[in-house]
Amino acid sequence: MIRSAVWFMIWSSTAFACDEIGQRMTSEVQNAPEVYLSVDEIPLAEPFSVLVSICSETTVGQMRVDAIMPAHRHGMNYTPKVSALGGGAFRVDDMLFHMPGLWELQVDVDINGQSVFYSSKITLK
Amino acid sequence: MKLWFTAALIALTGAVRAEVLLSADEIEQTLSFGPWSPSFHSDPSNRVSNNARAIALGEALFNDPVLSSDGAFSCASCHDPEQAFTTPEARALGRVLLDRNTPSLRNLAGLRWYGWGGKSDNLWAASLHPIIEEQEMAHSPESLKTAISESAYIDDFEAIFGVIQNQDPELVLVNTAKALSAYLETLVADRTQFDDFRDALERRDFPAAAYYPEAAQRGLQLFLGRGNCVFCHNGPRFSNNEFHDAGVPYFLNETEVDEGRFGGLNFLLSSPYTLDGDWNDDPDKHGAWAVRNVRRSHADFGTFRTPSLRGVAETAPYMHDGSLRDLNGVIRHYSKINTDRLHTDGEAILLQLNLSEQEIADLVAFLMTLSKASY
Ligand code: HEC
Ligand code: HEC
Repeated sequence: MIRSAVWFMIWSSTAFACDEIGQRMTSEVQNAPEVYLSVDEIPLAEPFSVLVSICSETTVGQMRVDAIMPAHRHGMNYTPKVSALGGGAFRVDDMLFHMPGLWELQVDVDINGQSVFYSSKITLK
Repeated sequence: MKLWFTAALIALTGAVRAEVLLSADEIEQTLSFGPWSPSFHSDPSNRVSNNARAIALGEALFNDPVLSSDGAFSCASCHDPEQAFTTPEARALGRVLLDRNTPSLRNLAGLRWYGWGGKSDNLWAASLHPIIEEQEMAHSPESLKTAISESAYIDDFEAIFGVIQNQDPELVLVNTAKALSAYLETLVADRTQFDDFRDALERRDFPAAAYYPEAAQRGLQLFLGRGNCVFCHNGPRFSNNEFHDAGVPYFLNETEVDEGRFGGLNFLLSSPYTLDGDWNDDPDKHGAWAVRNVRRSHADFGTFRTPSLRGVAETAPYMHDGSLRDLNGVIRHYSKINTDRLHTDGEAILLQLNLSEQEIADLVAFLMTLSKASY
């Protein structure tokens, strides 16, 4: 819970602009910077890309992306490729959901030297 | 006697006017199994893809024993064009008895992986390996070059690929495989009764859709619903083209196992013939992301590529080792699947379905409609 204190301090500073496009990802960490996930229609068992924007004033370091199917105890069969676009935005390529159903997209971002975990639920028909 | 009664009724009324049993949601899912046939995209990794001359040469070579080092058999000996490009043996019989069942070669264009264990990421590599595989055609690049040079195909080969004497034996091997691949790309399974049903649903033409037998519709509902089949068998080919454990034992004998995807990845990652390698003709290397980014995991052990179900009624026996004789056997296998034998750390999708006799018959009826003729 030390982390939430850190976030509180960051968030008490002034707001700033960022791309609030798409779905807001959730984090267990209180007052964690907002993170948005933007994705077009996801094709089944074909590669696709997503955009992740991190609304943080402080330095955003690396980002790691993964996805799992909670009900089936498995993840993706490929490691997605993450490219930093600058300004807290990342493009993620080579994502592939090989089964229909509920997926959880997970993002781990280094913000201000801390690793923060976010997730989003996506149902694929 | 119920069957008799329905049959008599069909005879009396001429055409059956059943109804569409599917819910709106099931209809939407059904649309995702088409349209069929898929549109053709030439393979950027193969510069002779969609080249009429190369297709003709590929077909001729496929059917000719010149591709085996001792002239004993051809690709068609195992992949018989008269038998849906497979043969009815449980396990392929070439120079020796192989460990696996011979897959049909239809609908292979543009897949991400080839082979039961996915040891190739492109169709020309999947066509190349059997030429040099010791248990199959057993050529070396050198002996292949000599065989092609001395064959009746030399003029066609040189018209497409240039003077053979200027080509390194390995280049001759790759060129031969690319001609074979150009031919294999053209093999597509016919449209079926299922496709007529699916297209009628798309047009919202329910009277036309209602010609699709009710048993097959009930089977389809199980396929989409309680059976969970669609988790792996999805898209127009009824396959996600990934690797799973469908509960088929992978012991070859008391001491050896078929490593499945685990072995396939070992092979792939040391192969010079992937989309990430120098033999890819596409400067942009489209598709190479998969071999670059594929993950290895111990759960790969004993998993196999989900087979396409198009034309499945024509390609018995089934599974990577040909251990199940007919479709009825496959459905009974899924119905009574031994979940203890599935990977403990693997995915939890397959469950004992405990299907009734009626449900088994319905699923088989559905699978039969994925083939052109009724078998
Ligand atoms: C001895 C029988 C035999 C012969 C001869 C043979 N094959 Fe095969 N073929 C098989 C078997 C068995 C497999 C499955 C191998 C595996 O996945 O490990 C296979 C797989 C394939 C695949 C991959 C299919 C898929 O669904 O991914 C292609 C392509 C192929 N063969 C082409 C050829 C070509 C081209 C030739 C001739 C140069 C040939 N085969 C000769 C038995 C044979
Ligand atoms: C977890 C993924 C998965 C699910 C769910 C699944 N399958 Fe399969 N299916 C596979 C794999 C993988 C194979 C090949 C297994 C092997 O050879 O070891 C296969 C093989 C088959 C075959 C044999 C095809 C051939 O050419 O050999 C048929 C038919 C089939 N499945 C039908 C079904 C039906 C019907 C269901 C639902 C009751 C179903 N499958 C559920 C993955 C799956």
